[in-house]
Amino acid sequence: MILQTARREIERLCKNKIYWFCMIVAPLISLLFFISLMYNGLPTKLPAGLVDLDNSSPSRNLARQLDAFAGTKITAHYPSFEEARKSMQRGEIYGIFLIPGHFAQDVVVEKQPKISFYTNNSYLIAGSLLFRDMKTVANLASGSVVLQMGRARGYTNAQIIASIQPILIDTHPIGNPWLNYSVYLNNVILLGILSLLIMCVTVYSIGSEIKGKTAGEWLKTGNNSILQSLIGKLLPQTIIFFIVGLMMFAVLYLFMEFPVNGSIWNMILALLFFIFASQSLGVFMIGCFPTLRLGLSFACIWGMISFSISGFSYPVDAMYPAVQLMSNLFPLRHYFLIYVDQALNSRALFYSWPHYMALLAFGLLPIIVLRSLKWSLQYKSYQP
Amino acid sequence: MKFPIFTIWREELKNIYRDIGVVLFFIVVPFIYPVLYSIIYNPEVMRETPMVVVDMSHSTLSRDFVRRIDATPDVQVYKYASNMEEAKEIVNSKKAYGILFIPQEFSQDIHRGKQTTVSLYADMSGLLFYKAVLLATTEASLEMRKIVNVNAIELPVPYEAISLYNTQNGFASFLVPGILVLVVQQTLLLGISMICATTRERNRGALVPHNPIYSDALRTILGKVMAYLTVYIFMSIWVFIVMPSLFHFPHLANEGTLALFILPYLLACIFFSMVVAAFIRGRETPMMILVFTSLPILFMSGISWPQTAIPAFWKYFGYLFPSTFGIQGFVKLNSMGASLNEIAFEYKALWLQTGIYFIITLLIYKISLLLHKNKI
Repeated sequence: MILQTARREIERLCKNKIYWFCMIVAPLISLLFFISLMYNGLPTKLPAGLVDLDNSSPSRNLARQLDAFAGTKITAHYPSFEEARKSMQRGEIYGIFLIPGHFAQDVVVEKQPKISFYTNNSYLIAGSLLFRDMKTVANLASGSVVLQMGRARGYTNAQIIASIQPILIDTHPIGNPWLNYSVYLNNVILLGILSLLIMCVTVYSIGSEIKGKTAGEWLKTGNNSILQSLIGKLLPQTIIFFIVGLMMFAVLYLFMEFPVNGSIWNMILALLFFIFASQSLGVFMIGCFPTLRLGLSFACIWGMISFSISGFSYPVDAMYPAVQLMSNLFPLRHYFLIYVDQALNSRALFYSWPHYMALLAFGLLPIIVLRSLKWSLQYKSYQP
Repeated sequence: MKFPIFTIWREELKNIYRDIGVVLFFIVVPFIYPVLYSIIYNPEVMRETPMVVVDMSHSTLSRDFVRRIDATPDVQVYKYASNMEEAKEIVNSKKAYGILFIPQEFSQDIHRGKQTTVSLYADMSGLLFYKAVLLATTEASLEMRKIVNVNAIELPVPYEAISLYNTQNGFASFLVPGILVLVVQQTLLLGISMICATTRERNRGALVPHNPIYSDALRTILGKVMAYLTVYIFMSIWVFIVMPSLFHFPHLANEGTLALFILPYLLACIFFSMVVAAFIRGRETPMMILVFTSLPILFMSGISWPQTAIPAFWKYFGYLFPSTFGIQGFVKLNSMGASLNEIAFEYKALWLQTGIYFIITLLIYKISLLLHKNKI
């Protein structure tokens, strides 16, 4: 009976500390880590260096404006670009704002002095954030000068504004108006870690039966039916992972108040399917490699690659076509797309159902290996 | 035996190549992982992000504007939609990642010398989509400024933006160097933990076999370290020298400097792994409990999430891992062309870690030897 198998499995889960660690402790550590790491949302006060070769009141004013941005903090003044660059090389600053000599004077005589800013894109996030602030300040500088000059020539403010910037771009980042990285990163990374752990635990719980030569005993509780034995074994794990997943949701959506613009029930459904897909992959892995160590290695490699290939930081559309196709073989990819539709954009369920179906389709994988897995369970003694 | 240390070295090498699990971590994974990640990220940048246009103006000016956006490398105009509903439908089905709405009065406004407003909607499923559509639209609008208004006031304060390192803002060039360094630490950690657990299983919990050549803790440790170094010197050449040039990641440091830097990194990783390994029981346990830590450890290095934005607790916690200094140091050397002098902090930290973890390893092995003796 399934219940009998499930009872045996629960005993096994409780007895072995590794399950406690992988099913409860590890997800919680990860949750704590990523939530506290990105608690403040966008990084603020990124260190930047100032090279002010003019050192006039307007140039100092410009530097003050830059420093006033939440994202930028001018941590040091350098007498020359070369020294600032060395400091950047040591990693002390992520950007350099350079105001040329005679800046104030050149502005007045309309010689168009050029401001230069340098960012370090070896740290892509820090570099892009600084770039944004520096560019805004440079534009503000032009704006205020033009406004003065225009007024002196008798133009109206509206005319002046239209002449500097005839087309104003009003941006609407859909679903994440704060451009907050932690919203993406947390939602996908945490679920990715969960998926990795699910695959490992699934492989381990089956593989350790082979290694410990207890597979026969396990099959017996399931009337020697591999399907029944698997369901009895994995169902308790599904329930535990589902509860852990819901806890993650509670922290992300209730405590951190990350956006769920659609229905939370659609996300909960996605979570359930996602756990199912990860477990199915786990069964497939140990079915293909019925040695605990190889099965686990497979799970680890798949789990680690899924962070990159799911496309939440670097878009899948920008990858090679073959890699784009491959990405469909990772549950995290489908979960991410559902997340984008349902939580960020609150799109109709219609747009996401292929991905819900894809997650369910992972359930077909164990069927392929069912027979060979049963054979391994019955006859394969563990090879170290 | 004249030089027992070489016997230990040879025995440890045997432990490595006779165990397929260890071979997997020491050789296969460091060989394949960097390639996989490089292939995933190698296109480096998002080009031609598809965008939908809703043009209510239907004017020469608006078409010119859109053509200029289309001409940028960042964005490709996927389609003209007749209204916002249709455009949203296209974005919802993920055929495009942005909508540009041009109002009816677009052309009139510009001709009258009045500022006009276009609306840009960006799908936020990737920050790179948002960046691409915003960049392309801004660029085109600046060009339009020169077109529509011949006697426009010139920008009094022009600017130039220069990315000093990773000049093409590539994603692979930014992230993969960090991953390369991390792979070395994590595979050493997994492999050494596995060897250690096997030895324990075979020797009733002792860290070394009951054999006179292992009677000296220092000798044992050095012999083992020599074996790990033997393998990882080759792996390091692949990971740190061949990979960056193969995939055209920045590789500004010369081999000599890299070697001087990688040596303490490998040593710190090895001793760190030997300490961790001493606390792990079971041959499969290392994978179960160590693999998921790769992500937090990568974030603590400060390569993606800026170091200055990492809370103090996690920053100092990160100092426990050689990878934190290894990644920073390697990126500065190889991506930014720093000299060893300029990364003195990371360099010293790695040697310090080597020393500290070496002493702890030594203590652990001495204690294990004592306990083992008492048992017999």
